[in-house]
Amino acid sequence: MIINKIRLLSCSTLLAILLVCSPALAEPALNDLVLIANADSGIEHLTKREVINIYLGRYRRLDTGSTAEPIDLSSKTDTKALFYRLLVDKNLAEINAYWSRLVFSGKTRPPQQVDNVDKVLEIVGNNRNALGYINRAAVNSQVIIVFEWSGT
Amino acid sequence: MNTVFDVIQRDETKGYRIPKMFFVQLKKASHQLYLFLSHSALAISMLSVCISSASAEEASPVTLSGFGTLGLARSSSDDVEFIRDLSQPKGVSNGEWSGLIDTILGVQANWKIQPELEVVGQLVSRYRYNDNRDPRLDWAFIKWVPDNRLSLRLGRIGSDIMMRADSRMVGYSYLTVRPNVDFFGPLIFSSIDGVDGSLTLEAGKGLVRSKMFAGTIQEKVSGSFGTWDTTGSYIYGGLIDYFVDQWQFRISIGSTRYSRDIDTLQTRQLTGGLYAAADVTGISDARDAADGLSMKGANSYYYSLGVSYDKGPLQVHAAVNKIMTETDAYQNSQAAYLLAGYRIREVTPYLGISRWASTSRNLTTGLPDTLVTPYGSADFSELNQGYQTFLDATGANQTTYTLGARWDIFSEIALKLQWDSIHGSEDSKTPYAGAQAGIGWAGRTDVISTTLDFTF
Repeated sequence: MIINKIRLLSCSTLLAILLVCSPALAEPALNDLVLIANADSGIEHLTKREVINIYLGRYRRLDTGSTAEPIDLSSKTDTKALFYRLLVDKNLAEINAYWSRLVFSGKTRPPQQVDNVDKVLEIVGNNRNALGYINRAAVNSQVIIVFEWSGT
Repeated sequence: MNTVFDVIQRDETKGYRIPKMFFVQLKKASHQLYLFLSHSALAISMLSVCISSASAEEASPVTLSGFGTLGLARSSSDDVEFIRDLSQPKGVSNGEWSGLIDTILGVQANWKIQPELEVVGQLVSRYRYNDNRDPRLDWAFIKWVPDNRLSLRLGRIGSDIMMRADSRMVGYSYLTVRPNVDFFGPLIFSSIDGVDGSLTLEAGKGLVRSKMFAGTIQEKVSGSFGTWDTTGSYIYGGLIDYFVDQWQFRISIGSTRYSRDIDTLQTRQLTGGLYAAADVTGISDARDAADGLSMKGANSYYYSLGVSYDKGPLQVHAAVNKIMTETDAYQNSQAAYLLAGYRIREVTPYLGISRWASTSRNLTTGLPDTLVTPYGSADFSELNQGYQTFLDATGANQTTYTLGARWDIFSEIALKLQWDSIHGSEDSKTPYAGAQAGIGWAGRTDVISTTLDFTF
């Protein structure tokens, strides 16, 4: 009986650990992911079509006339996969294949890639043309939200 | 990390039957890649030094990347050799697995001098006209972006004459094991030495991109007649893309003006025989027939329409082209393809159909097979036969049905398996090497291919 209780407790603990560590829970929820720009960028809002054009390298001219500089998170993060799934319903392999076509035909460069959200905030906070995607909770006073899925 | 050997051997333990020759050829293909890597080691080392020193900066101005395909293919016919495009002198046949036609390795260096100025160089090793894989500088250009809507490139640049023509060596970038042979096979050049400029503007809900290019081509073409050197031939053209949501539409037009004749022993014998026969018999049609085989100064015109729909897991691509040449040595041709794929988790099955057909000019030398005169008789049957064989060598008349799947096994590595069932007529010669020798060729072959595509 005691052995069964210990087994049950062990299983419950293991399940709890697995749930806490699960990527599904670690990634931002749909309406938590937002696109940010520098607070002094002059950009108020971007449409989904504009975000697609910028992140897929088709057209990076902002309304201000400047060239948008999109920032990607590393593929090791779940946030990047979520971002592209929400944006164009593509997985990262498809995004990699897309960029291999453009890069190896010398057309354009993919977004600059950084390892973590802190780096995104640092770059966007210091560069008026930079854009990045982060969890809404991480937004600080140096950046503004220019696109969010809940509002589309 | 698993290698292709691990993957295949693991499959084998599950009961799949993979012929021994498959592994032998896979090993050969790996060895060829190894040789290329050895050749490139010095260049890569030098670039790595540049990159290492640049890595200390926030964002490196120099990046080194690459792509490759380890490919194996077998074609059921023993009458002709299946090739990837007209640059390849030999192909696969007789049901034997070979890594000859699809194995490719490319390395690329990008040096961003300033935000608006970049230098790009790309070295590619693949099976070419001269029966080897010596690396060739496919791209070497400087790119200037004076305005975020305008881009100018100068140097050796990719030929964008048909939709996705300039990325057809990058297997990882597309669904199939190779670009559609019926559609892209006739394209004899992959890069041009010259300049191009593209302008992108907003148009309604979409984007319009227009592009112009001009320069010279430096390619050599392999055919039943031998090798044709097109070095110095002029090329120019333009295209318009329209992007809106999941759609891309493309219209393009281009022209080449050839600088050289097909100067091989076979063509010299043929034209020499026709000129001599015209002189002896006074039949001017024979002279016209010889003149009509000249490529020097002749133009080819390329017209193409393409459309692509890419939404979520579904992607559909379709395109048509028409190639017209002002010389009797090449038949005018038209081609079309339709390809559709649907991703299910990491696997994307796809289906395709394509057609390549040429139009024979129905020409003759005007010479009778036997000419009887009061002074004796002359036999021109061999000359007439040689002329017809030469004209027929550029004939195409076939439909290809494609079934395959792409499996993205790891990040930046994809494994593909494809079956092409080719239904043609016996006069479909140009898509193959050795077609003239294939007397028993009835236009039908099945090609099974597998590739491991990667980028790094």
